[in-house]
Amino acid sequence: MNANAETAEGAAGQPDPRDQADLDARFEQEVMPQLPTLYSAALRLTRNPTDAEDLVQETFLRAYRGFHQFEPGTNLRAWLYRILMNTFINTYRKKQREPQTVSDDEVEDWYLYSRMVGGTEPSAETTVIEALPDQDVQDALAELPEQFRTAVMLADVDGFSYKEIADIMGVPIGTVMSRLHRGRKALEKALWNKVRERGLVRD
Amino acid sequence: MSEISCEEVLHEIEHFVDGELDPARSAHLAEHLGVCGSCLDRADFQRRLKEIVRVKCSGPSPTPEHLLEKVRRAIREDPPAVV
Repeated sequence: MNANAETAEGAAGQPDPRDQADLDARFEQEVMPQLPTLYSAALRLTRNPTDAEDLVQETFLRAYRGFHQFEPGTNLRAWLYRILMNTFINTYRKKQREPQTVSDDEVEDWYLYSRMVGGTEPSAETTVIEALPDQDVQDALAELPEQFRTAVMLADVDGFSYKEIADIMGVPIGTVMSRLHRGRKALEKALWNKVRERGLVRD
Repeated sequence: MSEISCEEVLHEIEHFVDGELDPARSAHLAEHLGVCGSCLDRADFQRRLKEIVRVKCSGPSPTPEHLLEKVRRAIREDPPAVV
């Protein structure tokens, strides 16, 4: 599958020490600088600094072990996120008993938009959302069931494309689009609740 | 150029805002938005909401200082996969 693995490994299937030194140098140069980005993502996933540290450490360990299979020139950040997601799913999701679906039947399209318009001038529709403390928006995202939170996080916070998200989550693009759509609707509802709790709007 | 209905535009607006439509389709939607204030409002709303989520959720979460060294140590001490 990977031409690189062929050359990087000796007869015993192990990297030749010279290649290993080269790999180590590249790992230090290319992968280690991604640590802050991965830590932020891990924190958003686990919502707990201790778990986030463990998740990052395990992710980097796995990345190190599999680095000879990484094809130089391809998307390193997406490759690392894929390892992060797999590690997260295998080790942390099992611990969490949370619903894996959103009941969005009652959340119609343009849920938030239809509640924001009217009364204010057209350009002020998002100002109440902007007025929310960062923590409220982070909580609203964090409270989404994991699959939906992940899709929205990867698209809107980390800026990955649908194709990249599909690769990272290991699901078809159609599933990504559906999770994004439903996740965003659920997020809109959660944001609306925050806005109301804060008394930023009148019912 | 064929007409595109508001319904069609709104159906694809999420993909439009995400920059996931092919250039021709994207241009087609943009053209509609240029003449339809109601669809434009919704597109702008969607775009701003996406931006708010990005800005408010990517806020600083400084990496703990010891983590880099901890990860390096874990890698150094990782037993090689040889038998």
